[in-house]
Amino acid sequence: MDDKYKFIDFLGLRFNVANDLSVLISAILVFILVFALSRKITMRPGKAQNVLEWMIDFTNGIVKSAMPDGSGRRFNLYAFVLFLFIFVSNQLGLIFQVKVDGFTYVKSPTTNPLITMGLATVSLLLSHYYAVKKFGFGNYLGNYARPVSFLLPINLLEEFTNFLTLSLRLYGNIFAGEVLLGLIGTVAKSFGAVTFIAAIPLAMVWQGFSVFIGAIQAYVFTTLSMVYISRKLEKE
Amino acid sequence: MAGLLVLGAGKIALGDMLFILVSFIILALAVKHFAWGPVTKMMDARSEKITGDLDYADQERARAKKLATERENALKNSRAEAVGIVNKAKESGETQKKSILSDAHSEAEEVRQRARSDAQKAKQDAMAGAQKDIANLSLEIASKVISKELNADDQKSLIDSYIKELTVNESK
Repeated sequence: MDDKYKFIDFLGLRFNVANDLSVLISAILVFILVFALSRKITMRPGKAQNVLEWMIDFTNGIVKSAMPDGSGRRFNLYAFVLFLFIFVSNQLGLIFQVKVDGFTYVKSPTTNPLITMGLATVSLLLSHYYAVKKFGFGNYLGNYARPVSFLLPINLLEEFTNFLTLSLRLYGNIFAGEVLLGLIGTVAKSFGAVTFIAAIPLAMVWQGFSVFIGAIQAYVFTTLSMVYISRKLEKE
Repeated sequence: MAGLLVLGAGKIALGDMLFILVSFIILALAVKHFAWGPVTKMMDARSEKITGDLDYADQERARAKKLATERENALKNSRAEAVGIVNKAKESGETQKKSILSDAHSEAEEVRQRARSDAQKAKQDAMAGAQKDIANLSLEIASKVISKELNADDQKSLIDSYIKELTVNESK
């Protein structure tokens, strides 16, 4: 894609305006969603509360399938926010993209590998943190040489592959989806009315599929995060 | 995009990652405070209440069952008791009837006995009275016979006077 981005340099760090704005919008949308759904919390749930509880049950189920012994309860909130945030981020670029003077300002934040890497970092940091907390630092380091010591390099390598596969899977899926949408858009504009009409069903089909992929990828990312965390937390 | 990654290593990466880290944490905290906390609390409370209600229902069911058996037993007992009462009443009625009957019998017997003895006495009295009369009569006749020398006329007049006397006595 030949998108151009605005950059802001601040305190020696470089910020991509499109990424940060999109992240912010996604976060605000997620917050508005759950805030609106949680206004009337009663013992007998209303419609909104039912929807919210259904989502909570769904993400709790993800956590429970990775950590069936109930130790995963403290990750319930993380899984819930992670799932909703990635889901909304994936759909954001499908619903609206803002481009001004060729510069992109709003898109799916997950079409940028840095954002997905940031999310993967959060997950993996959590897994390491809780592993150290549970086993102590010595045992945590020792776990890399278990079950047998010659697996040490493979275990070390796995940490990096986990990080890369987790982040790049999400990035690749969403990015590819938007690239294809852009391509369909260029096809539509290429030969006037004929291609425009022909491209409409294509775009519709692909957009629907992208919504599906966005949901699946959010589910996969959350599930894998929980699996990585649970693997770090079990003694080998 | 790949060039962006390579060129920006150290510069771009940190900024965006930092931004998403911070915004994600803030989002998580906000969600926890405004939605997650109250909803999960309510969900826990609800599941607790459901468990409690189920336990309570079990207890109530057991109690109701116990009460029902107790009542059934009481009913059975009361039926047996009623039968006993009726039987007893019947029995006592029977004995009472018997005693009344025997009383009546004995009384009637007594009355009859008394009547018989009364009649006996009256007869004896009458007999005694007649004996005395006859004795007197014969005594009188004898004295009359003795006091007069009897001839035919005399005998006739004697008999007539006697009969006269008798009739006078009778009419008296």
